[in-house]
Amino acid sequence: AIDHHYTTRLTVTETQVKSIDLVCQRRELSWVIASLQQQSGFAFVFSDDDIDTRQKISLNIQHQEFKESLQIIFTPLGIHFEMLNDKVLLRKDGATTLLPNPAHALVDGEVHGRVTDEKGQPIPGVTVQIKNTSKGTVTDAQGYYTLKFTGEQVVLQISYLGYDKQELATNGGTLNVQLKTSNTTLNDVVVVGYGTQRRVTVTGAIDQVKSQQLEGRPVANTMQALQGASPNLIIQQPNAQPGAAVNINIRGLSTLGDNTPLVVIDGIPGGDINLLNPSDIDNVSVLKDAGAAAIYGSRAANGVILVTTKRGSKTAKPLVTYNGILSVTQPHILFHPVKGYENMMLRNEAVVNANPNQQPIYSPDDIAQMKEKGDEEWILDAILQNALQQNHNLSVTGGNDKTTYMVSAGYLNQANNFVGPDYGLKRYNYRMNLTTEIGRFKFTSLLSYTHSDLKDQSYDAGFLMADAERTPTYYALKDSLGRYLTNDVLTEFNPLGILQHGGSSKNDNDNLFGSFTGELAVTKDLKLRGVLGGTLNANHRFIRVQEVDFYPKGTYGQNRNTDDYNEKNIFINTQLLAEYTKKLGNHNIYVLGGFTNESFTKRSNELKLKYTDPDLGTPTTGTVIDPGSTNTNQGTTETSLNSFIGRASYSYQDRYFAEVDFRADASSKFAKDHRWGYFPSISGGWRISSEKFFSRFANTINELKLRGSYGVLGNQNIQPYQYQTTYTVYNNMYGFNNSPVSGTGFTFSNPDVTWEKAATLDGGVDIGVFNNKLTASFDYFTKLTSNILLVPPTPGAYGGAVPFYNLGKVRNQGWEFSIHYRTGNQVHQEFGFNIADSHNEVIYLDGQQYISSGDEMQVILKEGLPYNSYIGLKRDGYFQNLNDIQNAAKPAGLDVSPGDIKFKDKNKDGVIDDNDRYVLGNPFPRYTFGFNYNISWKGFDLGMLIQGVGKRAMFIRGELVEPFHYNYSQVIYQHQLDYWRPDNPDARYPRLAANGSASNTNNFRRGSDLYIFNGAYGRLKNLQLGYSLPGNVAQHIGMKKLRVYLTGQNLLTISGVKFIDPESTEFKNGQGNGSQQNNLSVSAGGNSGRAYPTPIYYGFGLDATF
Amino acid sequence: CKKLDLAPTDHFTDLNYWTSTEKASQVLNTAYSQMMNDGYFFYNEGLSDNAFVGRGDNQGALSISNGTYDPSLGRLKDEWDKRYGGIKTVNVFLENVDRVPDMSDTLRNRMKAEARFLRAFQYFQLYTWFGDVPFFTKDITIAESRSIARTPRAQVVDFVLKEMDEVAALLPTKQQYDASDAGRITSGAAIALKARVLLYENRWADVATACEQLMGTTYGQYGLFNSYEGVFLPQNENNIEDILDIQYVPEYRAYSDYFDLAPLSVGARDNGMAPLQELVDDYLMTNGKAIGETGSGYDENHPYQNRDPRLTATIVYDGYAWKKPDGTTQTIYIKPGSDPDQSKKLDEYGPGRVSSPTGYYMRKYYDPSGGNNFLSGLNLILIRYADVLLMYAEAKNELGQMDATIWNNTIAALRKRAGFTDPSALNFNAGWSKADLQTIIRRERRCELAMEGTRIFDLRRWKTAEKVLNGWAHGARFGDPAIDNGYIRAAQRVFNAQKHYLWPVPRDERALDPNLGQNPNW
Repeated sequence: AIDHHYTTRLTVTETQVKSIDLVCQRRELSWVIASLQQQSGFAFVFSDDDIDTRQKISLNIQHQEFKESLQIIFTPLGIHFEMLNDKVLLRKDGATTLLPNPAHALVDGEVHGRVTDEKGQPIPGVTVQIKNTSKGTVTDAQGYYTLKFTGEQVVLQISYLGYDKQELATNGGTLNVQLKTSNTTLNDVVVVGYGTQRRVTVTGAIDQVKSQQLEGRPVANTMQALQGASPNLIIQQPNAQPGAAVNINIRGLSTLGDNTPLVVIDGIPGGDINLLNPSDIDNVSVLKDAGAAAIYGSRAANGVILVTTKRGSKTAKPLVTYNGILSVTQPHILFHPVKGYENMMLRNEAVVNANPNQQPIYSPDDIAQMKEKGDEEWILDAILQNALQQNHNLSVTGGNDKTTYMVSAGYLNQANNFVGPDYGLKRYNYRMNLTTEIGRFKFTSLLSYTHSDLKDQSYDAGFLMADAERTPTYYALKDSLGRYLTNDVLTEFNPLGILQHGGSSKNDNDNLFGSFTGELAVTKDLKLRGVLGGTLNANHRFIRVQEVDFYPKGTYGQNRNTDDYNEKNIFINTQLLAEYTKKLGNHNIYVLGGFTNESFTKRSNELKLKYTDPDLGTPTTGTVIDPGSTNTNQGTTETSLNSFIGRASYSYQDRYFAEVDFRADASSKFAKDHRWGYFPSISGGWRISSEKFFSRFANTINELKLRGSYGVLGNQNIQPYQYQTTYTVYNNMYGFNNSPVSGTGFTFSNPDVTWEKAATLDGGVDIGVFNNKLTASFDYFTKLTSNILLVPPTPGAYGGAVPFYNLGKVRNQGWEFSIHYRTGNQVHQEFGFNIADSHNEVIYLDGQQYISSGDEMQVILKEGLPYNSYIGLKRDGYFQNLNDIQNAAKPAGLDVSPGDIKFKDKNKDGVIDDNDRYVLGNPFPRYTFGFNYNISWKGFDLGMLIQGVGKRAMFIRGELVEPFHYNYSQVIYQHQLDYWRPDNPDARYPRLAANGSASNTNNFRRGSDLYIFNGAYGRLKNLQLGYSLPGNVAQHIGMKKLRVYLTGQNLLTISGVKFIDPESTEFKNGQGNGSQQNNLSVSAGGNSGRAYPTPIYYGFGLDATF
Repeated sequence: CKKLDLAPTDHFTDLNYWTSTEKASQVLNTAYSQMMNDGYFFYNEGLSDNAFVGRGDNQGALSISNGTYDPSLGRLKDEWDKRYGGIKTVNVFLENVDRVPDMSDTLRNRMKAEARFLRAFQYFQLYTWFGDVPFFTKDITIAESRSIARTPRAQVVDFVLKEMDEVAALLPTKQQYDASDAGRITSGAAIALKARVLLYENRWADVATACEQLMGTTYGQYGLFNSYEGVFLPQNENNIEDILDIQYVPEYRAYSDYFDLAPLSVGARDNGMAPLQELVDDYLMTNGKAIGETGSGYDENHPYQNRDPRLTATIVYDGYAWKKPDGTTQTIYIKPGSDPDQSKKLDEYGPGRVSSPTGYYMRKYYDPSGGNNFLSGLNLILIRYADVLLMYAEAKNELGQMDATIWNNTIAALRKRAGFTDPSALNFNAGWSKADLQTIIRRERRCELAMEGTRIFDLRRWKTAEKVLNGWAHGARFGDPAIDNGYIRAAQRVFNAQKHYLWPVPRDERALDPNLGQNPNW
């Protein structure tokens, strides 16, 4: 709880003592004091922390002397009083006196001075406050302050974020203060569900990421900035195109469906973190275990990310801050084709290898000509270019003693690396955070508006990439007449033509986030809070396909589609909460209880037109409405969730901590009888370092705490209405006599569908040594998810769509370790390292196994194996000669040759088939780590972040593995030259053999570990070199602070796989949809190298504060 | 705050669905849509010796024809899933349609019969590919689907035949339906399907009986349409020859397979499937002789002259005069070096090129009224009256009952309609042995029905697949003259009679249902 001051300050008028009359029945002490003041003219000085003025008393004082009256009133209450001139000082018996030297008379005084850091640099904006009063000031740009006070001596509290708080007594005059950098985070306030806690009291597994860690990075969204910041916060990017979503995951996979954590922004769940302006973020709390997350029980099974935006500070002068980064993004393609003539020779080799009697494709003349002519530009190079990215943010913060404000505006312009008419993302953010206090009321109003404009090409990026990369360098993109050319690979379209003239897909989305919180301090201990918050999204997508003609043939966009998609969704969250805090001696009690509702409505419609006007895209003669258009009532989704929440915590002397959380949820996604889910958790902590017996170690080990928690969390992340059998009518399903008719599809219900539950056990230890310069944390967790919501694997003979069932159990266990060290006086250095692991196992699946495949990739769900483990054949070298072939097991019907892959005959039956499949690896990242290092000296600072994955199996298929893939590709890449030849018997790849041949089928059509690559990597994610002007120089040019820096992103990567970005992933985490297959979506081209490449950023940044 | 009892706004639930005839019929419409798809219809030819899928592996046709497939092939599971999906729709329909109030019994009974036909059709396809298959006539639960065993093929055949007899009695004839119902299952379709089922069982006498029923008028009026080419043109949809088809609607329910089948110079993207030389060679000369027969007059240097007119209606060859939608013609240059515009030479054959790997393209079912990218609403015929005549001829010959009358009513009628005029091509020769006639009738069947998706089934029932689906499949004579007399070696094929006559039970199905078992040698 935050310290709470309440002081009555009165004006002294005269010194005459009057007789007192006071008769009352159960009136508050504050009323009594007010009467006394009025009758006596004395000022009453006391601290509200000390004196409970809300206690009620009854009095019958008639014509008593003033001093006697005071005795009658205060002595029974245990309140000591002293009279000093025209003041009455009240304090609790036994409390140290407010005025150490009461013999001296009170006079008005003034204190002034300068606040500097350890290096003697002034610190502007430091709060200097007179203890137990609300009187205070902040330092100016040179660190100077002046403060007037009444009385002989006062105690000044000097505080600034990141520095140790100091309290100094003064009689006035000059008081210079040097603040020391704070070495402990233990007294930090940590944002937890529906409230805050002091770090020292936290019993759950919570990581907090501060805004400083997010600054100066040329990122487009918050999740990119969070990568590597917190152990077991795993962020993967299937595709780096501007506006593309990332996969977010906390502590690995523990369910079989959607593993996306719950995001809570400023207390309102379900926000879109990607729409936030990263500069607006004050801190991010990552709630990992049940103890921390249970208060969000309903959807917290995958963890919770709490984002809190910046607020102004009280009694602070307005601070204007500008941050800007200008960067160049360079697309980084890691694979390259061989030279054109080499490509011809190798393609001939593939054809002749496949069948010696087949005619080669290219004649020696063709090859010689090609060699002479030289290569054309590779089309993938031609369609990508460097692009600019700009981030600009301007914010104003400040406040007086009642009100604080933070207003910010942000602009992001991230140009797309595709060549074409300004593709990219533009985002505009505006935010206004206000808090104000009116007596016992505190109001907080948060309002943010985000507008984003995303302009993409009109055609699928993966196909464009595929077309471009599959074309050998002997085909030109354009001829001398400027016509876009098609060829034997680009049979239909030319990607450059589509990018430059094929129209676009534009998303312009408006997002309004608002919340209004009213808080009433009923008593000093009891607060009531009401929150009404939510988001309104108004999204619009406009696709315009324009016709492009190619030579000698092919036309893109003949249908001239114009599509308008409109969606509006409203999410309303209502919270009614009561919070009770009580300190009784060494006992601290905190109780929270309340009710919340979350209501969601989405409405959308889509109008699709075909054959629109070629110039404007408007309807014209011949335009037809595509039957795929939808009305609003076809695009409506509604859900509702009612919840009761509760938390009780207790701590003793900051030494023992215990907490119980409870949440009960009723979800509209389930039938009445299965609607409620109950999610309890308990947690406890023991701060050993506070024990008396520990005092002898206290000089070395400053902080040692053990934590533990156990709880049950829930998940309801499925599409609504599954408890009812639904019939959906599709138009134009069939036709009779050339008239279309509708057809109906149906999904049978599962009336019993209910909550998925995850029981989580967590144990952790926090330690701080060397004056808390070195801090470390370790957590171990194990989580058993049961009743997993899953569409059961169903035989084809069942014949229809199946709803979600509560099936299966998955155990997920792992650990997290982080260590942080800070040192130095002149040269500041800071090291942080975190590493984490999670490992899951399907424990129960009703004895079923479920294999999903995406081309050659096969993954299995099976008891005893990690979720979606890769399965396939295992290689056992190559057939080196005919003898080898005769003696070895082969796939039935395949006539293999030397240089083809020999597979292991697992069951020794002499035939290679599905029964010989092995488990080939676990696709999910393990041993994820982050390392950051910062050093600063004088005005210079250098920071770096290295981030990576220690272990991961990566399945890559398609043309990046198979030369001349399916004949769709006609290219062999440089990294594929390590193929089998008699003189290269231990090659990485088998011999070349054209599509359709037995060799090709054996080598490439069978899913095998040929396609498995080592996805471990370490990457220099960010490097920053900055310089800050000395304070006095900055002042000279009218600024408080000015920092310039160079920054780079993804500058260096060490990886097990060289030809594709190891950060890319073949899996999707299911952003916001509950489909069962969403962890095996290969549509983004993630497993075939067709994903938009991860760029390298080089940037220049400027931070200025006025 | 919203209430927790929310009803969907764009779906019906079980409470409010089975309330009207219209909604019930929409479930039946779904069952129609599941009968067969255009991809299977076209690309099944690539499984046979009629065509070659040389680009990608459309509908699994390359893997299957190469003999390189295994139970994991996507096509197998896809076919299995789709067929059972259609069966489920019918079962759900049959189990709920009686709930619909205010529906006339006549309509209800007719719709039930349509549905039963569609279910039987699915089973017919399933057992033809897979042999023994899970068989049930009530909607099954998930639990049942996980343990169901396969029913012997013969029992499923009996069921299909019995159903056809029963629904034929319940269904209207083609002429009894309103014009707006064109495409609905008729009593004639039921008898025709029965004939085909019997044909695949070699039950010749029963085939002949069923065909005779169709040649009469009890089950509707059928005949040969006056133009062979016209049978497959959009203006002649639902013509007198059409017994069972998949109905399409331009723009609204349409397919664009020709985008990958037509010559590239008329707008195709690439070549997904190309006719083979082996098919071209089977077309007779206009004098009725096979090209290899003495006196046929066949000239290898001018191979497309004086050939069965159906060749031109079906296949595009070098020098072909492609009739464009506007009535003009365009010459298709396929022979290497023949295209006057050597900067384009889109259709010319070249190894490794995107043009046809055999030197032939398709023409049958090209829709001149098609939209962009050949988007076509042309109905695809599954059984037509010509097939009935061919079945009848085959059955009669197998029974040893072929004579001049039957010949004149069947083969001669088909040839006449195709445009043969030479009496030597039309007249019955009493000197032909049963074996001679078998060759003639089978060849007639192949050419008449070429590229209509039936060839692979004929090869499987004749048990000739291991003869014609092994070794090299060829294209036109544009290859190395030293190899196979210059005929392009398009694909080397493998058909193992020990196992390939049945498709294997799909891998994933066996993983989910341990009682399915597997076909021999898989």
